[in-house]
Amino acid sequence: MLRVPLNQILVIIVLSLVVGFFVNIIRSDSIPLLAKEMSITKNLDEISGEPVAISLLQAKTLFDKGVVFVDARGEEYFADGHIQNSWNSGFFMELMFKLDSAQTKSGLVVLYCGEDECGSSEELADDLYNEGFSKLFVFKGGWQEWNEAGYPVE
Amino acid sequence: MSNEMKNMMVMICRIFLGFMFIYASLDKIANPEEFAKQIGYYKVLPFGIENILGIILPWTELIVGVCLIAGLLVDGAALLSIIMMLVFILAISQAMLRGIDITCGCFKVSADSDKLGLDTIIRDIIFFVMSMIVLNRQERKFEFLPKSD
Repeated sequence: MLRVPLNQILVIIVLSLVVGFFVNIIRSDSIPLLAKEMSITKNLDEISGEPVAISLLQAKTLFDKGVVFVDARGEEYFADGHIQNSWNSGFFMELMFKLDSAQTKSGLVVLYCGEDECGSSEELADDLYNEGFSKLFVFKGGWQEWNEAGYPVE
Repeated sequence: MSNEMKNMMVMICRIFLGFMFIYASLDKIANPEEFAKQIGYYKVLPFGIENILGIILPWTELIVGVCLIAGLLVDGAALLSIIMMLVFILAISQAMLRGIDITCGCFKVSADSDKLGLDTIIRDIIFFVMSMIVLNRQERKFEFLPKSD
């Protein structure tokens, strides 16, 4: 018969809560209790810093300007179809090297994944930002919204 | 299997899981913002509450790990370990089914940590079984709170 030690679980959880919140209050890099969602930027020209989200129309504007698009989905999804001329993210170090060779770290990059509720493009944007890339856009509508709009794919 | 062998197996599971949880918690405690973001990439939690989980979960892992090794509240630690493994297995499975290609965030929060895959699920299933062995032990050896039999 399995034991169900609810009182012990309670002790461990309460201890975690107390220590976790206390440490978060006193540390210099404390975080807010609720995370902010990445908001869609209003002005594409005023971007320099943390990654920002963009709408479908803004993504199309950047696409028409020839900005590099990176598909953050797995290879099998990329092979099934992707935004025209976009790169598959592949291995992170490889992507970084490729981006660095093609343009500087302040070059514009658009990242996308399947649809609004996939986190791969946000993760990739944050990772690139941590490596010094400063003009990163996350197209949250992703492949699904782009494809449904009938924009160029391959 | 003799009782001694069973007790030995329980001790091995306790120590292995204990060190595993402690190791898994350290990078997350050092980088709470990155860990919270990592939870957010799974896209399962509403209202931005990934930050609350990012603040608490690493400490739960650390305390569970210490309890398993030190012989404190072992039943509670083992059951929490089982619950955490079930939650991790579900979170990873749903992400994989939805084609979300992200890193696991299981042990490290940096970009070079493991990608989600079948191996991460199998690993968590093994940890789940080990936690079950600890919870289902017949004898309490080297336990100090509550005391051994």
